[in-house]
Amino acid sequence: MIDEIALVKELQNIQTKERAFRILIKVYKERLYWHIRKIVISHNDADDVLQNTFIKVFKGIDNFKQDSKLYSWMYRIATNESITFINKRARERNIDITEMKQELVSNLQSDDCFSGNYIELTLQNAVATLPEKQQLVFNMKYFDHMKYQEISEILGTTVGGLKASYFQAVKKIENYIKKKHN
Amino acid sequence: MKRVINHSKDLKLTKDIKTGFTIPENYFMGIEDELFSRLIVEKLPKHDGFKTPKGYFENFENVIIERTKNKKEKLIHFKRKKIKLISVAASIVLLLFFGSNFIYNTNTELSSEEIISWLDMNANSLSNDEIAFALTEVNTNDINPYLTIKNEDIIESLLNSNEVDYLIEE
Repeated sequence: MIDEIALVKELQNIQTKERAFRILIKVYKERLYWHIRKIVISHNDADDVLQNTFIKVFKGIDNFKQDSKLYSWMYRIATNESITFINKRARERNIDITEMKQELVSNLQSDDCFSGNYIELTLQNAVATLPEKQQLVFNMKYFDHMKYQEISEILGTTVGGLKASYFQAVKKIENYIKKKHN
Repeated sequence: MKRVINHSKDLKLTKDIKTGFTIPENYFMGIEDELFSRLIVEKLPKHDGFKTPKGYFENFENVIIERTKNKKEKLIHFKRKKIKLISVAASIVLLLFFGSNFIYNTNTELSSEEIISWLDMNANSLSNDEIAFALTEVNTNDINPYLTIKNEDIIESLLNSNEVDYLIEE
């Protein structure tokens, strides 16, 4: 467990910034990677977005006022970077973001960095059909086991709203799987 | 003999007994949905199936630290430079717009530093379309003509920008 307040102080001090930043990357690199990966799907894209996220954190840390928790702020940057990335790709292809996600998931079967079985692939396909917000809530709650309160701090949505989104997402996933198997 | 539940009496009892326990606000709201969600997800796979290349995370800190030191991390072509300048100009217009609104129209708690910080964090990720759209939303008559940015501030901002190195070199 790291002392966030002390770490932010070190990050905002030019003398200790690099050492503290190394600690920050070490602590959060995997958590942020998996969060980003589930949004952008491919490993290479996740790598790009993760690097850009940390660069933005490095550049923005001096203005970070600790109104929110450090990890919430970093997750927010990672989420925005990932969605911007996917939107940009979708715009380049002249398709909407849901189509883009479905296309990315359809490439998973031949992806060396995906080892999921049939049911895991079906679940990814089902998630890709959800609206963006529901995808985020489902991934953060179901795969990352985050608490509603934590998700609320990151996405800026009320806990009640998140519960409703998660329920909608789960129902749609169940229907998708049922339809596919009938 | 059957026990007849007297709901109003039972409810009164639970009210009268001071247990000291409290629950978060709106705790019972949507609890049915939550329970149904749990029942459904029990049948779903627990893993997402994604993996990374071997050793991917091992050297990651060094990659990022290297990037923070290397200001010339990307080759910027002339066209992209122009786009960057347009982005900077658009950011200034947006800043003026929000700044004038901030001063005259609202009691918002956003400070100028926060707006600048937001622009700093997000301006680069705005596409040309988004900037163009934002600019069509701005009524230039609304911009406070007395709100100006000092030349020194613009120069300092440009000097702090990584991209200006390329402009100087060219």
